[in-house]
Amino acid sequence: MTVTSVPEQPSDESLISATLAGDEGAFSLLVTRYKRRIFGLAARFARDSEEVEDICQEVFIKAFENLAAFRHDAPFEHWLTRIAVRASHDALRRRRREKGQSGFDDYVFEVRDYAGEARHEARLARELLKWALLRLKEEERVVITLLELEGYSVREISSLTGWSESNVKVRAHRARKVLKRVLEENDERQR
Amino acid sequence: MRDSGDERLDLLFTAARAARMDTSVLEEHFETRLMARLRDRTREGIPWYALMWRMVPVFTVLVALIAAYSISYKPLSSGDLFAAISSGQEEYLAQNVLTGE
Repeated sequence: MTVTSVPEQPSDESLISATLAGDEGAFSLLVTRYKRRIFGLAARFARDSEEVEDICQEVFIKAFENLAAFRHDAPFEHWLTRIAVRASHDALRRRRREKGQSGFDDYVFEVRDYAGEARHEARLARELLKWALLRLKEEERVVITLLELEGYSVREISSLTGWSESNVKVRAHRARKVLKRVLEENDERQR
Repeated sequence: MRDSGDERLDLLFTAARAARMDTSVLEEHFETRLMARLRDRTREGIPWYALMWRMVPVFTVLVALIAAYSISYKPLSSGDLFAAISSGQEEYLAQNVLTGE
């Protein structure tokens, strides 16, 4: 009987060391390892696929250029997610000027097709939420997206954004309040 | 106090949470595109304004050191009485000569 050994995956630490020593391939492996996570997060904030690509490129470029500053006191994934949250927040702020105040009926569905799009009602619900999220301040949108859609705790959001836990709670509360009001206003308009 | 608005919002969140955007097409060859861009950036070098930003901490420390030195600097008081009396006299004399007094 022959036993085939599964090649061991190099650790993040060894890939980081190799990258810092000038091994481009090592960084490429790190990208492959975490790109799904970063793309998923960026997609929550981006308005289209081009913006998703832009945010992800920005995240990994920043990670590459600041890799020497990574202190190994937290997992690499956490450090990378922090950069991704900041890049997404920056993207929202850049878009602030373009933000319109149209009604849901005028909202153009720019979101790409989801895997296995099945039920029309569920799709409409997601689109309605995406439209309502556009009404929030950037900071509120970051908090409510991480809390309600990505499932992070208040403490984790505080660590990812650098805002205090009470600040995160206040922003989440405000965001819910605004979202409820926006949805009510939309209902009244529809009547 | 939760109301119907909260319940509706939670339903929307649940629907959105379940629907992750399929990014697999976008992810294809991402490493290749990224590494090409990183190589371009390395070739172009660091722009001067980025260097300026990186030098800000150095300048800050330098200014703080100069400020601390200038505050704490006290010229040594001389034990020589004549030197103490005549210090500053050169300037006074020169002023008198120039103004003709």
